[in-house]
Amino acid sequence: MTPSLAILRISSPYWRGLRLWVPLFLLWIPLALLGPLLLVVLGIVCALRGVPFFRTLGCAWSLLTGLRGVDVDVRTPGNVVQVRIV
Amino acid sequence: MGEERKQILDMLASGRISVAEAERLLAAMEANPSAGDVRTGATATVETTRRPKYLRVLVEADESMTGLRGGTTTVNVRVPMQLLRAGVRLAGLIPAQAHEQVDAAFSKHGIPVTLSQIRPENLEELIDHLADLTVDVDGRDGNATKVRVYCE
Repeated sequence: MTPSLAILRISSPYWRGLRLWVPLFLLWIPLALLGPLLLVVLGIVCALRGVPFFRTLGCAWSLLTGLRGVDVDVRTPGNVVQVRIV
Repeated sequence: MGEERKQILDMLASGRISVAEAERLLAAMEANPSAGDVRTGATATVETTRRPKYLRVLVEADESMTGLRGGTTTVNVRVPMQLLRAGVRLAGLIPAQAHEQVDAAFSKHGIPVTLSQIRPENLEELIDHLADLTVDVDGRDGNATKVRVYCE
Protein backbone atom coordinates (compact mmCIF):
# COMPACT_ATOMS: atom_id res chain seq x y z
CA MET A 1 0.00 0.00 0.00
CA THR A 2 1.12 3.51 -0.69
CA PRO A 3 1.82 5.87 2.24
CA SER A 4 -1.13 8.00 3.24
CA LEU A 5 0.26 10.31 5.89
CA ALA A 6 3.60 11.81 6.90
CA ILE A 7 3.94 13.04 10.47
CA LEU A 8 6.69 15.49 11.22
CA ARG A 9 7.43 16.51 14.80
CA ILE A 10 10.07 18.98 15.88
CA SER A 11 10.43 20.24 19.41
CA SER A 12 13.07 22.32 21.07
CA PRO A 13 13.43 24.03 24.46
CA TYR A 14 13.80 27.40 22.70
CA TRP A 15 10.75 27.04 20.48
CA ARG A 16 7.22 25.83 21.05
CA GLY A 17 7.68 23.10 18.48
CA LEU A 18 5.88 21.82 15.46
CA ARG A 19 3.71 18.84 14.73
CA LEU A 20 2.79 18.60 11.09
CA TRP A 21 0.50 16.03 9.54
CA VAL A 22 1.00 15.89 5.77
CA PRO A 23 -1.83 14.08 3.98
CA LEU A 24 0.11 12.25 1.29
CA PHE A 25 -3.01 10.61 -0.06
CA LEU A 26 -4.06 14.01 -1.44
CA LEU A 27 -1.08 13.84 -3.80
CA TRP A 28 -2.98 11.18 -5.71
CA ILE A 29 -5.24 13.88 -7.16
CA PRO A 30 -2.55 15.82 -9.10
CA LEU A 31 -0.72 12.55 -9.79
CA ALA A 32 -3.81 11.02 -11.36
CA LEU A 33 -4.31 14.13 -13.50
CA LEU A 34 -0.68 14.32 -14.59
CA GLY A 35 -0.21 10.54 -14.73
CA PRO A 36 -0.55 10.06 -18.51
CA LEU A 37 1.85 12.92 -19.20
CA LEU A 38 4.36 11.64 -16.65
CA LEU A 39 4.20 8.15 -18.16
CA VAL A 40 4.92 9.53 -21.63
CA VAL A 41 7.89 11.54 -20.29
CA LEU A 42 9.18 8.49 -18.40
CA GLY A 43 8.80 6.36 -21.52
CA ILE A 44 10.81 8.84 -23.61
CA VAL A 45 13.57 9.11 -20.97
CA CYS A 46 13.76 5.32 -20.66
CA ALA A 47 13.96 4.91 -24.43
CA LEU A 48 16.72 7.53 -24.67
CA ARG A 49 18.73 6.03 -21.80
CA GLY A 50 18.16 2.41 -22.80
CA VAL A 51 16.51 1.53 -19.50
CA PRO A 52 13.61 -0.96 -19.44
CA PHE A 53 10.41 1.04 -19.01
CA PHE A 54 8.32 -1.48 -17.09
CA ARG A 55 11.17 -2.39 -14.74
CA THR A 56 11.65 1.31 -14.01
CA LEU A 57 7.94 1.70 -13.37
CA GLY A 58 7.94 -1.34 -11.08
CA CYS A 59 10.95 -0.01 -9.22
CA ALA A 60 9.36 3.40 -8.72
CA TRP A 61 6.20 1.75 -7.44
CA SER A 62 8.22 -0.43 -5.03
CA LEU A 63 10.01 2.63 -3.69
CA LEU A 64 6.71 4.44 -3.22
CA THR A 65 5.00 1.57 -1.42
CA GLY A 66 8.14 0.79 0.56
CA LEU A 67 8.08 4.21 2.20
CA ARG A 68 5.16 3.20 4.40
CA GLY A 69 6.47 2.40 7.85
CA VAL A 70 9.59 4.58 7.72
CA ASP A 71 10.25 6.03 11.16
CA VAL A 72 13.15 8.32 12.02
CA ASP A 73 13.49 9.57 15.57
CA VAL A 74 16.40 11.73 16.70
CA ARG A 75 16.53 12.91 20.31
CA THR A 76 19.17 15.10 21.84
CA PRO A 77 18.80 16.60 25.34
CA GLY A 78 15.71 18.79 24.97
CA ASN A 79 15.31 18.39 21.21
CA VAL A 80 13.24 15.90 19.28
CA VAL A 81 12.95 15.44 15.53
CA GLN A 82 10.63 12.72 14.40
CA VAL A 83 9.49 11.75 10.92
CA ARG A 84 6.98 8.98 10.46
CA ILE A 85 5.37 7.78 7.26
CA VAL A 86 2.20 5.77 7.75
CA MET B 1 8.76 -27.30 32.83
CA GLY B 2 7.00 -28.10 29.55
CA GLU B 3 8.37 -30.81 27.27
CA GLU B 4 9.00 -28.38 24.40
CA ARG B 5 10.85 -25.94 26.61
CA LYS B 6 13.02 -28.76 27.94
CA GLN B 7 13.74 -29.88 24.37
CA ILE B 8 14.87 -26.38 23.38
CA LEU B 9 17.11 -26.08 26.42
CA ASP B 10 18.57 -29.52 25.69
CA MET B 11 19.35 -28.42 22.12
CA LEU B 12 20.99 -25.30 23.49
CA ALA B 13 23.01 -27.28 26.02
CA SER B 14 24.20 -29.72 23.38
CA GLY B 15 25.25 -26.83 21.13
CA ARG B 16 22.86 -27.73 18.28
CA ILE B 17 21.32 -24.24 18.39
CA SER B 18 22.69 -20.88 19.44
CA VAL B 19 21.43 -18.75 22.34
CA ALA B 20 19.69 -16.39 19.89
CA GLU B 21 17.95 -19.31 18.17
CA ALA B 22 16.85 -20.72 21.51
CA GLU B 23 15.50 -17.34 22.51
CA ARG B 24 13.53 -17.09 19.27
CA LEU B 25 12.17 -20.61 19.65
CA LEU B 26 11.07 -19.93 23.21
CA ALA B 27 9.44 -16.67 22.19
CA ALA B 28 7.66 -18.39 19.31
CA MET B 29 6.53 -21.16 21.65
CA GLU B 30 5.15 -18.65 24.13
CA ALA B 31 3.38 -16.75 21.35
CA ASN B 32 1.81 -19.94 20.02
CA PRO B 33 1.63 -22.52 22.81
CA SER B 34 -0.62 -24.85 20.79
CA ALA B 35 2.10 -25.44 18.19
CA GLY B 36 3.30 -28.58 19.90
CA ASP B 37 6.36 -30.17 18.36
CA VAL B 38 9.71 -28.51 18.27
CA ARG B 39 11.99 -29.83 15.58
CA THR B 40 15.73 -29.76 15.74
CA GLY B 41 18.18 -27.63 13.79
CA ALA B 42 17.93 -24.57 11.65
CA THR B 43 14.72 -25.60 9.84
CA ALA B 44 12.73 -25.36 13.03
CA THR B 45 14.19 -21.93 13.72
CA VAL B 46 13.34 -20.65 10.27
CA GLU B 47 9.83 -22.06 10.42
CA THR B 48 8.97 -20.68 13.84
CA THR B 49 10.52 -17.24 13.37
CA ARG B 50 8.32 -14.84 11.46
CA ARG B 51 9.78 -12.95 8.55
CA PRO B 52 11.20 -9.58 9.61
CA LYS B 53 9.45 -6.52 8.19
CA TYR B 54 11.73 -3.73 9.33
CA LEU B 55 15.39 -2.97 9.78
CA ARG B 56 15.99 -1.05 12.98
CA VAL B 57 19.10 1.01 13.68
CA LEU B 58 19.52 2.35 17.20
CA VAL B 59 22.35 4.64 18.21
CA GLU B 60 22.86 5.87 21.75
CA ALA B 61 25.64 8.29 22.47
CA ASP B 62 26.45 9.88 25.78
CA GLU B 63 27.51 13.45 26.48
CA SER B 64 31.19 12.77 26.07
CA MET B 65 30.68 11.56 22.52
CA THR B 66 28.24 14.21 21.30
CA GLY B 67 29.44 17.18 23.30
CA LEU B 68 25.80 17.96 24.17
CA ARG B 69 25.22 18.38 27.87
CA GLY B 70 22.11 17.13 29.66
CA GLY B 71 21.81 13.48 28.69
CA THR B 72 22.20 10.93 25.98
CA THR B 73 21.47 11.45 22.31
CA THR B 74 19.52 8.72 20.58
CA VAL B 75 18.86 8.02 16.96
CA ASN B 76 16.21 5.47 16.18
CA VAL B 77 15.60 4.63 12.53
CA ARG B 78 13.16 2.06 11.22
CA VAL B 79 13.37 1.17 7.55
CA PRO B 80 10.86 -1.20 5.94
CA MET B 81 12.46 -4.23 4.28
CA GLN B 82 10.35 -3.48 1.23
CA LEU B 83 12.21 -0.21 0.82
CA LEU B 84 15.54 -2.03 0.99
CA ARG B 85 14.36 -4.51 -1.61
CA ALA B 86 13.26 -1.62 -3.82
CA GLY B 87 16.73 -0.12 -3.39
CA VAL B 88 18.33 -3.35 -4.54
CA ARG B 89 15.98 -3.46 -7.53
CA LEU B 90 16.93 0.14 -8.26
CA ALA B 91 20.59 -0.87 -8.29
CA GLY B 92 19.66 -3.30 -11.05
CA LEU B 93 18.67 -0.38 -13.26
CA ILE B 94 22.08 1.27 -13.03
CA PRO B 95 23.91 0.93 -16.38
CA ALA B 96 26.90 -1.44 -16.56
CA GLN B 97 29.39 1.40 -17.12
CA ALA B 98 28.23 3.08 -13.93
CA HIS B 99 28.60 -0.27 -12.08
CA GLU B 100 32.27 -0.33 -12.99
CA GLN B 101 32.79 3.22 -11.76
CA VAL B 102 30.98 2.53 -8.48
CA ASP B 103 32.90 -0.72 -7.94
CA ALA B 104 36.18 1.10 -8.59
CA ALA B 105 35.23 3.83 -6.09
CA PHE B 106 34.31 1.21 -3.49
CA SER B 107 37.54 -0.74 -3.94
CA LYS B 108 39.53 2.50 -3.76
CA HIS B 109 38.15 2.91 -0.24
CA GLY B 110 38.84 -0.69 0.67
CA ILE B 111 35.28 -2.00 0.27
CA PRO B 112 35.28 -5.08 -1.97
CA VAL B 113 31.73 -4.76 -3.34
CA THR B 114 30.61 -5.68 -6.83
CA LEU B 115 27.39 -3.80 -7.41
CA SER B 116 26.24 -6.06 -10.26
CA GLN B 117 26.32 -9.03 -7.89
CA ILE B 118 23.94 -7.48 -5.37
CA ARG B 119 20.58 -9.14 -5.93
CA PRO B 120 17.37 -9.41 -3.89
CA GLU B 121 18.42 -12.95 -2.88
CA ASN B 122 21.57 -11.50 -1.27
CA LEU B 123 19.39 -9.13 0.71
CA GLU B 124 17.31 -12.03 2.03
CA GLU B 125 20.52 -13.75 3.09
CA LEU B 126 21.69 -10.57 4.78
CA ILE B 127 18.36 -10.21 6.59
CA ASP B 128 18.68 -13.76 7.91
CA HIS B 129 22.12 -12.97 9.28
CA LEU B 130 21.02 -9.61 10.69
CA ALA B 131 18.38 -11.31 12.83
CA ASP B 132 20.15 -10.35 16.02
CA LEU B 133 23.28 -8.34 15.43
CA THR B 134 24.49 -5.96 18.11
CA VAL B 135 27.48 -3.72 17.62
CA ASP B 136 28.95 -1.86 20.57
CA VAL B 137 31.28 0.98 19.76
CA ASP B 138 33.62 2.21 22.48
CA GLY B 139 33.89 5.95 22.80
CA ARG B 140 36.62 8.13 24.16
CA ASP B 141 37.81 7.61 27.77
CA GLY B 142 35.94 4.33 28.04
CA ASN B 143 32.50 5.86 27.44
CA ALA B 144 30.33 3.69 25.31
CA THR B 145 28.30 4.58 22.29
CA LYS B 146 25.92 1.80 21.55
CA VAL B 147 24.99 1.01 17.98
CA ARG B 148 22.47 -1.72 17.46
CA VAL B 149 21.25 -3.01 14.12
CA TYR B 150 18.59 -5.69 13.93
CA CYS B 151 15.55 -6.86 12.04
CA GLU B 152 12.07 -6.98 13.57
